[in-house]
Amino acid sequence: MPSTRSYLIVWAELVALATITLFASRALGGGWGLIVAAAIAVAKAALVVTRFMHLTRERPALRLVFAIAVGFVAILVLGVLADVGARDAASAYVDELGRP
Amino acid sequence: MSLAPQYDSLARQHATARLGMWVFLGSEVLLFAGLFALYAAYRFTYPAEFHAAAGHANLAIGTINTYVLLTSSLTMALAIHATRNGQRRRTVAFLLATIALGLAFDALKAVEYAEHLAEGLAPGRAYAFAALPAHGVALYVTLYYLMTGLHALHVTGGVVLLAWLAWRAQRGDFTPESHLTLELGGLYWHLVDLVWIFLWPLLYLIG
Repeated sequence: MPSTRSYLIVWAELVALATITLFASRALGGGWGLIVAAAIAVAKAALVVTRFMHLTRERPALRLVFAIAVGFVAILVLGVLADVGARDAASAYVDELGRP
Repeated sequence: MSLAPQYDSLARQHATARLGMWVFLGSEVLLFAGLFALYAAYRFTYPAEFHAAAGHANLAIGTINTYVLLTSSLTMALAIHATRNGQRRRTVAFLLATIALGLAFDALKAVEYAEHLAEGLAPGRAYAFAALPAHGVALYVTLYYLMTGLHALHVTGGVVLLAWLAWRAQRGDFTPESHLTLELGGLYWHLVDLVWIFLWPLLYLIG
């Protein structure tokens, strides 16, 4: 069973990561700032899920349920990005009405 | 919690309830995922417009609210920890602290909305912000209201849930051996924090 101290340490880590995100995004800006901020957000989310929600101590079936939901989010977001990212290439083959 | 007839033991009943809760949390994640996908598409299409629009977000309030919610996750975890140690008054105190932080979050959000609406930073066709043309920017603003609004509804629902849990804790419903309802409520509250962990950089830090 985790102690009060261990919960305080997780909180301090989360606060530190949030502060790093703030300064990194100010320093980098633009696309890279967003990528770094998103990566740190994933690390913070992992901390909350494992240390506050104790998902790692749950049965495998239960971890699988949440992992699949997260996997679906990745598929959805990456699929959408691949689509909008390929629009320029697609427009070389079709006109405004979508005809070849 | 008493044993329902279809289960052999309380342990098995609790395991089933926890699985149900995580399936629910998974569906909540997917609900927000739709909005995150929309955000990704429009951010990719209008990077300069999103950058300019996010520059008008209230970074100070957004950042304070990030620390508020992170701290509320700590007090929630400590409330459950206190129950495990059989400390009823500490449990109630930490739950009340979590409620106070949730209300503080909502109050700051309301200040932010009022400020934006007064400036004309309104969603959809109501957009009337003089400093930036609507093209692309209105998409950011509309998504801002949709994403933070849906999240704020979750915070508010969570506060109501926490108030009910605090009342039950006060009544002595939760023991070190049996406090499943409190645990599930805690999982919900942590999810609300989890969503904000992503909303903050996407809506406030890209400006």
